[in-house]
Amino acid sequence: MMAHFSYVRPRSLKEAIGHLAENGARVHAGGTDLLGCLRDQVFDVRKVVSISGLSAMRGVEQVAGGGLRIGALTTIAEISEHPLIRKHYTALAQGASEVASPQLRNQGTLGGNLCQKPRCWYYRGEFHCMRKGGDVCYAAGGENQFHCIFGSGGRCFIVHPSDTAPALSALDAQVEITGPGGLRTMPVENFHVHPEDDVLRETWLERGEIVTAVRLPAPQASLKSTYRKIRARRAWDFALAGAALALELDGDRVVDGRVVLSGAAPVPWRSLLVEDTIRGKTLDDRTIDAAADAVVKGARPLAKNKYKLPLFRGMIQEELRRIHQSAGADG
Amino acid sequence: MEKPNPKRSLSNHRISRRSFMAGVGAGTVCVAASSRLFASGGGEKEEEVINADSLSKLSLHINARDHHLLVEPRWSLLYVLREKLGLTGTKEGCSRGECGACTVLIGHVPRYACLTLALEAEGAEITTVEGLLNGEELGAVQTAFAEEDAFQCGYCTPGQIMSVEGLLRKNPSPTTEEIRIAVSGNLCRCGAYSHIFKAAEKAAKARSK
Amino acid sequence: MYYTEGLPVPETPSPGETPGPWERTDVVGKPRPRVDAYERVSGTAVYPSDIVLPRMLYGAILRCPHPHAQVKKVDTTAAEAPPRVRAVIGPGDPKTDLPWSFRDVKTTLFPKTCRFEGEPVAAVAAETLYQAWDAAGAVRVDYKVLPHVSDERRALEKDAPKVHENGNKLKTDTYSRGDVEKGFFEADVVLEQHYRTEAEVHTPLELHGCVANWDGDVLTIWESTQGVYAVQSRVAEVLGLPLSKVRVIGHYMGGGFGSKLQTSRYSIVAALLAKKTGRPVKSFLPREATFLAMGNRPPSNMTLKAGVKKDGTLTALSFTCLGTGGAYPAGGTSLVDWQIRDLYLCPHVRTECTDVYINAGPARPFRAPGHPQCSWALEQMLDALAEAIGMDPVALRLKNVPDYSQGREGNPPYTTTGLKQCFKEGARRFGWEKARRKTAGQEKKGHLRRGVGMAGSVWFVGGGGPPSTVILKLFSDGSANLNMGASDIGTGTKTVMAMVAAEELGLRPEMIRIEHADTGTTQYATPSGGSKTVPTEAPTVRDAAVQVKRRLLQMAAEEMDLPVEDLRYTGDDIVSRSRPDRRIRIVDISGLKRQGVVVGVGHRGPNPEKKTVNPFCAQFCEVEVNTRTGELRILRFLSTNESGRVMNRLTFDSQVIGGVTMGIGLAATEMRILDANRTGKMVNRNWHDYKLPTSLDVPADIVGVPIEMPDAEANISGAKGLGEPVTIPTAAAVANAVYDAVGIRITESPINPLKLSSLLEQQKKEG
Repeated sequence: MMAHFSYVRPRSLKEAIGHLAENGARVHAGGTDLLGCLRDQVFDVRKVVSISGLSAMRGVEQVAGGGLRIGALTTIAEISEHPLIRKHYTALAQGASEVASPQLRNQGTLGGNLCQKPRCWYYRGEFHCMRKGGDVCYAAGGENQFHCIFGSGGRCFIVHPSDTAPALSALDAQVEITGPGGLRTMPVENFHVHPEDDVLRETWLERGEIVTAVRLPAPQASLKSTYRKIRARRAWDFALAGAALALELDGDRVVDGRVVLSGAAPVPWRSLLVEDTIRGKTLDDRTIDAAADAVVKGARPLAKNKYKLPLFRGMIQEELRRIHQSAGADG
Repeated sequence: MEKPNPKRSLSNHRISRRSFMAGVGAGTVCVAASSRLFASGGGEKEEEVINADSLSKLSLHINARDHHLLVEPRWSLLYVLREKLGLTGTKEGCSRGECGACTVLIGHVPRYACLTLALEAEGAEITTVEGLLNGEELGAVQTAFAEEDAFQCGYCTPGQIMSVEGLLRKNPSPTTEEIRIAVSGNLCRCGAYSHIFKAAEKAAKARSK
Repeated sequence: MYYTEGLPVPETPSPGETPGPWERTDVVGKPRPRVDAYERVSGTAVYPSDIVLPRMLYGAILRCPHPHAQVKKVDTTAAEAPPRVRAVIGPGDPKTDLPWSFRDVKTTLFPKTCRFEGEPVAAVAAETLYQAWDAAGAVRVDYKVLPHVSDERRALEKDAPKVHENGNKLKTDTYSRGDVEKGFFEADVVLEQHYRTEAEVHTPLELHGCVANWDGDVLTIWESTQGVYAVQSRVAEVLGLPLSKVRVIGHYMGGGFGSKLQTSRYSIVAALLAKKTGRPVKSFLPREATFLAMGNRPPSNMTLKAGVKKDGTLTALSFTCLGTGGAYPAGGTSLVDWQIRDLYLCPHVRTECTDVYINAGPARPFRAPGHPQCSWALEQMLDALAEAIGMDPVALRLKNVPDYSQGREGNPPYTTTGLKQCFKEGARRFGWEKARRKTAGQEKKGHLRRGVGMAGSVWFVGGGGPPSTVILKLFSDGSANLNMGASDIGTGTKTVMAMVAAEELGLRPEMIRIEHADTGTTQYATPSGGSKTVPTEAPTVRDAAVQVKRRLLQMAAEEMDLPVEDLRYTGDDIVSRSRPDRRIRIVDISGLKRQGVVVGVGHRGPNPEKKTVNPFCAQFCEVEVNTRTGELRILRFLSTNESGRVMNRLTFDSQVIGGVTMGIGLAATEMRILDANRTGKMVNRNWHDYKLPTSLDVPADIVGVPIEMPDAEANISGAKGLGEPVTIPTAAAVANAVYDAVGIRITESPINPLKLSSLLEQQKKEG
């Protein structure tokens, strides 16, 4: 039911990294996903390295040049309520406010949300699936109603469960990673691993590395960002379909934009086709319908998740119309 | 088949990438959050690795009292509250962070005790449903729940009460929608939600008097 | 001192005379917070799972991970090794692997052939919960995995794996009246439709389990149960103990909904572990196991063909259902045709229900077993018929309201039926006609569409009945103690009973202390279920209170030297009718002072002969559908209930909103999902993947409207059951409202964006 593990609360990031470099060590930030995984025996653990007390890793600050740096231990609730994030990075605040439940938002951290394990019920259940080192993806021919329509590589059909990652990716955020080799950054967009590259991991973190912060670029007045999430239940549920949109608008003309889907693929899924369809266009009915078609172009639904095609189409229509209407109201 | 996701093509950052990257430098210092949950400070224990099988000393500050006990690293706060300290007002419904029956306040913030290791709660102010009593007098939220019949079997009730208590400490006059969101991490299989909303509204009024 | 000033007390009937209905009530029927509200909101109520005893061990049961497997070998060596493990039990040992059965099918506590995922394989006791699970995990089991069938729709196929040796068909029940072919011939419109409801799992918030402790040869079990006497009898039977040596206590319990009506193997296992170790053992199931092994509302595959005349007269109903109780006989199709048989007037009815085995956890009664499923089919069909003949759905139903039970042998009349009033008053209070006009006239351009829907229901039982015994003790200071065996499963039974005793004795309800749900110290009661607890116990309590009054009147008569017929009980005192200056305060009666207590023993009288006692309900709701995304919002609900006398207006409302909320789960969020193609395992055995409605899935606006018709014939309290009727029509009402909103009939539950987005897409394509 619950693995046996030793426990350490390092006093510094450096100490933490030292412990985490050991075989079988797992990082504990908010602990919500870790303890859930341990109960389900999703992976083995020997040592739990708790970084929850490293208060330097928590908080939101403005950096020179006008961007934000959000410490990885900042809770999801803090992000959803932060005035600067609500104002300038709306998609992130909205995404954060849609995560799980209030208690989990109070406890879960941004770093944890980016690094959480998939929610595939085969992966979490008593199935030795491909992602756990087995030979079979049980979802492929099984109960795959909550699985992906893009990006499986034919191997693993999870969807990435994060609501903040699509928003961060749409906002072109960078993730700051600290490890034995020091500090490196990479776009959030590239942080997650496609099954065809490695089916056994979800992020490009190397052993001993942890996410220490996320950096958001300076806000632009013309950028409007939103996050929309559709789920089977209105609370404590992951996205059936979701989208983070970050659009640079001139009136209701889209100058440029980034569109990242949740509930679609094993990673937060950037929809270049939607971006190409709306770039330079006024958000009229024709553009919106074309964007709706584009969002599912190339999708390969499974036996039980074909509903995701109309769902993504309808959702993109609704979001773009909403943006169109509010742009009209503003202008 | 078209493959729209550009996982390695970084060329498509069309939104003014330069300005996005500005200000991100190595010298940035992160300001500590003002509301730390846990005492840090250099207690000797913090660097010590606690072995899986060993019991270690732990002090918990619960309902304004200190409790000293021995715990295994894997014991949850919920297990310790219920099975070791006799604080059984906090209920176990799933031990998976999915029902909220174990909701307690840490600081003033509702959290799931089942997904909190007991060791992680060291140094925090923990409030359980028993801690809302003043002697044997019910707190405002408890009274409102009783008066509005905001429960049936009563098993999810302490968790619901703690979620409402946490809400009202932060937001003394919430809207119904804010109340609904605040208890959305607390399942009630008897389905008392609409009475819970009423009770929360009533408690908010009573507290503001 | 403890009486209620200024309130009249009901007349005391003479010995041998049955009390008549209360002419007026001053306590009963009023809104009253619970007598145990303090304990429940303060956290001081001790539920069975809260029990911690000195020297207590923790038990854990290892369960079969396969839906169908032979247990070839169980090796407990590794499990026994750790120092803090105190006992391991498993299959093959005649002292612990005791006989067990599901109805007439025999198995054992740790069966050699496991027929569903979650059957017990071995059990351990250890010093901590964590160590117990470590030990259970260390038990090595060799399974021979057998082919399984997890979908009842495939269970009767020729090559389907057999759950039991004699095949997968348990039984087919048929019912018929009139001649359906004739009925269809007479009809102006005949429709036929297939419907399906998914399996639901009860998952009450408190886990299933118990604490077991032996004092010598006396076993005490604290169990989260709906009926302590039911647990006592099964435990005594399996362990070969006299009933007197098994004490079961269940003062508080955190919900059951039918899943805690019966005794489970875990209680026996806990007792065996406690016996083996000589220490108390606490054994509660982990949440995941409750999804597998603690019952369910099974899936129903229903086909309904119905005929109606243009004037709305129903002519024929023909219904078939394929269902399953899981791996053992468990009432898989029990009562699933009852709405068809009994709710609406119809001369020609035929039903055929086939119950099959599959390799899944056995069903247990789940709040109105069979009824919501049947309602899902029938009430959607009625709306379709109404549309076909151009009639309002309420009007169609009103056209076909019976005043006798057509489904029962001999067509007995209902003692009372308020079904007609439920429809009429419900429609009025909901604003049905106006709401229908509004949804019919709404612009079809927007993507948010409103719809309204309604449905009616009857509950199969709900009248309660014997046996029940309670003891009411009036102490010398005038306060009272009520002793009853019934459990309060959250419905407010204790509060209602205090109100009944208070009403009859003129006492303040808070002066009545209740002892309940303990086979060692309280009186016999059947389990709390079937919406029968109030109509069973309330008359019993009233009878006991009448006995107390009679005894006190007798004592006063002797003391005052007046004939007992001349005396009247007023609550505070006993007064002479002929000479009002002659009176004696109850606390001054020397007989009471001398004895210290006066005892009234109440019994539940018989139900009326040749009549049937049933509660009725109608529900109305308004929904909004997002036609782009298939998201459904339920905006408001109104439930009209005829359940005889309203006993407590406050807990009445709690029952209504609870039933509606649970019905919304069936309608919109809940379904058990088995990995039928490959492993047969349940994939959503947790509360994230199995979706109970949350506070954001239900409307804040749920209104309960009682149609109060005290049922004098039913019993001496006038009350009928409420808990089950309130959840029967909910899901169908939602489905009807969704149809009204978007013109799509959702015949398979649940109505979620998965289903709706596809159907809306299809509708758009079809233009």
